[in-house]
Parts: sequence; structure tokens; C-alpha cells
Amino acid sequence: MTKRILIVDDSASIRQVVSTTLQGAGYETIEACDGMDGLKKLDGSKINLIISDVNMPKMDGISFVKELKANPAYKFTPVIMLTTESQEDKKAQGKAAGAKAWVVKPFQPQQMLTAVEKLVM
Amino acid sequence: MSMDAALITYVEECRELLEQMEGDLLALERGLDTSDDSTTETEDDNEIAWCELINRIFRSAHTVKGSAGVFGLDHIVEFTHEVETLLDQLREEKITLTSSLIATLLECKDHCLDLIECLADGVEEESNPQRAERLVNELQTFSPPAEKDNQSFAVSESNNNESPAIERLGNNGSGHWHISLRFHAEALREGMDPMSFLRYLQKLGQIVSVVTVSNEMPDNFEKFDPEACYLGFEIGFVSHESKQTIEDVFEFIRDDSQVRIIPPFAELESYLSLISELDQEPRRLGEILVECGSLTPEELEQALAIQSSKPQHALGEILINRGNTAPQVVEAAIAKQAQSTAGRSQNEDRAASKDGGTLRVEADRVDELINLIGELVISGASTAIHSQDSNNDALTESVSTLNELIEEVRDASMRLRMVEIGATFNRFQRVVRDVANELGKQVTLSITGADTELDKTVVEKIGDPLMHLVRNALDHGIESPAEREAKGKPLNGQLKLNAYHDSGSIVIEIIDDGAGLDAERIRAKAIEKGLIDSTYELNKEDIYKLIFAPGFSTADAVTNLSGRGVGMDVVRNNIVELGGRIDIDSEQGKGTKLTLHLPLTLAIIDGFLVGVEESPFVIPLDSIRECVELQQDDAVEKNGRQYMNLRNEVLPFVRLRELFGMKTERPIRENVVVVHYGNQKAGIVVDRLHGELQTVIKPLGQLFSQLQGIGGSSIMGNGEVALILDIPTLMQLVKDKQPHHVIH
Repeated sequence: MTKRILIVDDSASIRQVVSTTLQGAGYETIEACDGMDGLKKLDGSKINLIISDVNMPKMDGISFVKELKANPAYKFTPVIMLTTESQEDKKAQGKAAGAKAWVVKPFQPQQMLTAVEKLVM
Repeated sequence: MSMDAALITYVEECRELLEQMEGDLLALERGLDTSDDSTTETEDDNEIAWCELINRIFRSAHTVKGSAGVFGLDHIVEFTHEVETLLDQLREEKITLTSSLIATLLECKDHCLDLIECLADGVEEESNPQRAERLVNELQTFSPPAEKDNQSFAVSESNNNESPAIERLGNNGSGHWHISLRFHAEALREGMDPMSFLRYLQKLGQIVSVVTVSNEMPDNFEKFDPEACYLGFEIGFVSHESKQTIEDVFEFIRDDSQVRIIPPFAELESYLSLISELDQEPRRLGEILVECGSLTPEELEQALAIQSSKPQHALGEILINRGNTAPQVVEAAIAKQAQSTAGRSQNEDRAASKDGGTLRVEADRVDELINLIGELVISGASTAIHSQDSNNDALTESVSTLNELIEEVRDASMRLRMVEIGATFNRFQRVVRDVANELGKQVTLSITGADTELDKTVVEKIGDPLMHLVRNALDHGIESPAEREAKGKPLNGQLKLNAYHDSGSIVIEIIDDGAGLDAERIRAKAIEKGLIDSTYELNKEDIYKLIFAPGFSTADAVTNLSGRGVGMDVVRNNIVELGGRIDIDSEQGKGTKLTLHLPLTLAIIDGFLVGVEESPFVIPLDSIRECVELQQDDAVEKNGRQYMNLRNEVLPFVRLRELFGMKTERPIRENVVVVHYGNQKAGIVVDRLHGELQTVIKPLGQLFSQLQGIGGSSIMGNGEVALILDIPTLMQLVKDKQPHHVIH
């Protein structure tokens, strides 16, 4: 069964790179441009993994993950946070919220794929 | 480096590797023999040692093969590949070790060595295809049946309360990684799928076993949380990836879950060698471990965090307890650390020479250096004389400092030639095994004092005589198991090789617990052979010494071993030529002890300086019995030979001044140096006795190689050349010939 991955990021280019990489590896992707948009996309259908940026307009990644974990349908869905080296505190917050995996920006598409595979292989 | 030079290095390297391989194989065999009655307490240690031995043997074969490939030596690659394949299977415990397998492997080692020796002679092809084929066929009979599907892995369950990871810590002899996972309770809620990690792991290698551990599961069902994770895995994993790469698989869970990764033995070995290869830069323990790859930076961070909360625990202790790294690796790292510290405080070169690896230098170059230093000593001595003549105190002082330094350099360069006797001794493991098998005897060889050092030249020359003595002990000394049983001795005979330093010489002992020497039988045989007269009264020692007489053999049956063209007389002569001697101590029925006394080096001798006219001569000190004044009344001349009365004993003597054609008048007082060689004594008459000295031997040039009675020369402190007398040939001259015929 094809695995579905939700990508939440306000940068269209990053969404595109991640999306293309994952599709190339056989995953199905859904894109959202911020936390709010992300929550909207969670319509109860099966999502295997969520990749979320931290800094986004409207709703940031941390709040998004908190909301997500409160939803019984998605509380077991793994989340990869996209962080930058300087965002140690954000990373800690994200982890506290329930996003245990992360990828540091800037990343190579392959790095993203590796992280995804570790979680939903 | 030219290809030829590289090839020479390859040949030397292979010789060493194969020799080591043989030693390891024999050690395995010994282990196999004793494993039946070994006690349980040492079993774990044995297992480690075994794995280590097999690994080492594998690496030896692997290196021989790998380098052969570089030189395009396909026949060596082909053959060693077969050996390596089998060893690999052995390493992975797919086949079990048997004594017949070891025997085949030993033969394979011999074949490899032959190939290498042929290579040294310039033959770059298979020298013995039949043997190669036979051995390859033999090897294949040991191979396991075709391997199973590689991709499948068995998942079994374990309710074992003991964590298997703890049991196996540091004892991972199986050649694969061992990964111990304990997921934390929140793992599922965090979106972590335990199976996902296993699947991902398969991308990096092959999972050979998985044991699911569920002992975290609460006993009370009411406490059971359906969303919590109680799982753990014990995973056997084969992979060539680094520890870091494997650990990264668990990147997202290692903060909260327990992840322990134990490297296979081969990996452990590579950590150890990486540690030893690190430079002398001072490092912290953690840094060393991270640098060699045994510890990942994350593991170090966690361990340091623990240490900061429990400062009474040492870092190494924490790492071992957490299973981050094996005790051996921590020990090696601590040793490295100590060495680096020592390197800083002491002389750098000394630290480097202690443990900092070895430097391969051709023996010729060392000889050249020693020769040059000899020259340096001479010119130093003459400089000293000139500086004294100049009455310039400052000059004299600095020259004397210079000369002291030269002496130190001389001693240091002499030490370059010193090697441990262990390698020579270890060669006998195989000899003893083979000979004992051939004779149907059970013999254990034990070696002590293997680290005793002696001059490389002596080591080279002692090999043959030692070989003969060892064979002799096996052949004639140690009895067959039946005989031993009848005598109430343990069936297994003991042969012991021992070496130690004793006042400037090296002593080698060959001790067996065999039948001992039968003095009566030796005496009877000697009379029969006409070596002694039946009326001779001889003490035990003298009778024993008869076995060194030419043509003497008491063995009733000529075995394959005796009659190899070397008699005990040759053995003794070899040893005497080295400036050594051999003593026998034996008790009938209990055993025999042969003691070889050898000089530490052939380059320096303890000499005794004498003078005739203005010429100095050196007599090797160990051949001197005593010095007496020549009483003209006691000396007689008959048929051109001269004799004197030494305490009512007839002592033939020769005057050096006559022997060497010195025409000046004899002084009024002359001295006799009584020398001995073997059992004979003779007197050498000189003008003056100067005393003992230690001297460097310089060989005579080719022009003088035919000169009898002179063994070499030596340069005295004052720059004068002193000739060193060759006592054995001189004695022969005294005995056989009339003095005036000798020197023309």
C-alpha cells in the first residue's frame, strides 16, 4: 500500500523538492502551506507521516503538532520537524509537543528520504 | 618504492604472517585438545581467545591474498581465496573446528609458504599444482551445505528475564553486530514504528537473528497500557557499515529508548588497531574512542552527562557498563593515553620505540651502521690522543665528552641488532607437533622466556642446533605413551624451552621429562666405538659429553628423524663456533636438561689483552682457564712440540712470538695463558698480560681470510689494532703441527 505523507511548509520550493523526492521513492504526498492548512488537510484519511516546518505564518509547527497529537486519528502518526541549527530551543519544544524526528535545514533531498525511511519503512 | 622492493616486502610480510598463522593454528589445536576437560569458569575466556585466534588466522590469510592481488599473483590469490573462504565460514560458526580441519589448514599454510618462497626465487606461478588441487578439494569437504535464503530472518520470542544483551556484552564472538533495542513506553504514541527500524536496518546489511524481548510488559493486566510500547529486540546483524551509520538508524529514538550496539570481533580488532595507530597527540579518553569509531559522539555525550551527575564513576567504567564499548577497547585507549602522556614528558624517541610500532630495516644497513660506528670509535680514540698532546684542556675535555657519546651510540646501535628469541622458539611448536605425531608420542611444548633478547646473528645460527636438540629430545628422550604408562608417568610428555640472561650471556634450556641418559649404555657404546678405553674412569658429566663425540649414536633403531646428516658433534661445534658451550644434566628415568650458554652478541666479546713485543693480542675471555708464569725449568721441547708441567699435568704450549715469526729476543719473564677448547687444554706463551677488556670484533679482510690462528681484529682505545686469536684453530696448530711450519 502506498504510504501517504503530508508536507507542511510555507516555502513552495521546499515543498516541491521534498514532494518530488518522496514521490520518486514511491510515496504519495499531500502539501500544506502552514499549520492551519495542514490541519485542514487532515480529514480523517490515513496519513503515514507528516513533515512540518517550524516557522510558518498563521500557525507554527509547534502548535500544529500539539493540535495533531490531540486528534485521536493522528496521535500515532510520526512527525519530522524541519529545523535549522540555530533553533535548538524550537527543536526541544517540538520534541515536547511530540515530534521526535527532525531534519536540519538546509538538507539534501537524500537526507530527507533517509529520515522518512527510518520511520515508515 | 620500486615494484621489486615492494615484492620483497611482500615476501617478508607473508613469511611473518604465515608463521603467525601456524602459531595460531597450533594454539587452536591445543585448545581443542584441552576443551574436553576444561572447567566451566574459563569457558568464556576460552571462547574469546578462540574467536580472536580464528580472526587472526583469517586476517593473515586475507592479507596474504589481498597483497597478492596487488602484485597480480593470481595463483596465490586463487589458493588463499579458498583458505580464506573456509576461515570465514569458521569465523561465522557455520562450520565447527576439528583437528582434521586444523591439519588441513596447516598444510595449506605450508603450501602458501612454498608459493611465497618460490616467489622469492623468482617463480611467479603455481609450483605444485597437484598439492594445491588436493588441498582445495580437502577444504571444500569441510564447507557447510549451500546457504539458506539470505533475505529471510527468523523472528522468535523470548520471555527470558535476563536481558540477553547483558549476557553477551563483550563476548560477541560471532562475527556480527549485536544490536540491543529497548523502546521506551511512549514510542508508539510518538509515531515510532518498531518494525520500521528493522526494515530500514536491512538496507544496511543482513539481519541474521531477531529475538523479541517483552519483559517490560506489566504482570498486572490492569496496568497494561494498550498504547504503550513494551517491546525490545535483540538483533544479530551483519554489515560492513560503521558503528556511526548503524547508530544513525536509531537517530530518532536513541534519546528516550535504549540502543546498544556491540561490534563484531573483527570490528573490535579494527578499533584496537586504529587506537594503536593514532599519533602521540594527547587526547581525552572519549576523544580516542570516538576517533577510532568505537564510540559515537552521541554516546559520549550521554556518558559524560551521566558522569557529571555521578562524578565518582570513571568515564571508561560508565561506557563499559552502558555497553557502549568493549572493555578491551577502553583499556587500549587508556594505554594509548598513558603513552601519549609519557611521550610528552619523556624523550620522544624512547616513547616511540617502546610501543610506537616497529621500523623494518634491512640487516645490512644496521651492520653498516655498526661498522661505521666502529670506525668512529677508532678516529675518536686517535682524536683523543692528539688532543692530549696538544695540551689544550678545553679541547681534551670536549673530545672526552665526544668519546663518551660515541660509546653510547655504539651500545645503542648494538641494541638495534637484538631480537627476541620467541619467534625462534615458536617455530618449534610445529616441529614438536609433527615429530610427535610421526613417532606416535604425545608431547606438549611449553615456552618460557620468549622475550629474552639476543643478537640477530646468534638467533640465525642457533636455529639449526636447537632444531636438532629438540628433535633428539623427542626421538630419544621422551618415551612412547605405552612406555610412559608402564613407568607410571603421565602419558603426555613435557618438553620445555626456556631462555634467560645470565651475566652477559644468554642461556637456553631444553628440558624433557623423558627417559634421561643411560650413562652405562653410553660408556659401553663409546668403548665399542673405540672412542674411549675400557680402563678409563669417567664421571657422569664426562660420560654424557661422549654423546657429542663424532660418530656416536646410541639409538638402537635408526628412525626417520635421526640420521638427518647432523650428529651431536656438529651441534656442539656449531655452538662452540658461536662462542658458546653446552652442558648436560640428566637423571635416568626422569629426564634430561641441556643448557646452552651463548654470547649475547657476536659483535662484541669479552677479551683478555696480552702483549708480545709491541703488538697487542686479544684472547676471548671465556676460553681462558688461568694465567701462570712460565717456569723455564718446566718447559721441554720434543719433536718440535713444546710442553710444560702444569701442576704435574702435561700442557702443550706455543709461543706466539714463534708462531707469528717475531724475531726479537724473548724477555726474561714470560707468561702462559692456559686456554681450553672442548676438553683440551693448551698454553699460549706471551710477554705481558694486560687484563680484561670488552671489544668490538672487526672481521679480517678477504686478503687474510686464509690466515690461521687469527679470528679478527679489534681497535684499541689508543687506535692501535689488536688481533683476536682464534683459539680452536690455534689449539689444532699446537696439537698437530710444528710451529715453524705454520706461518710463512
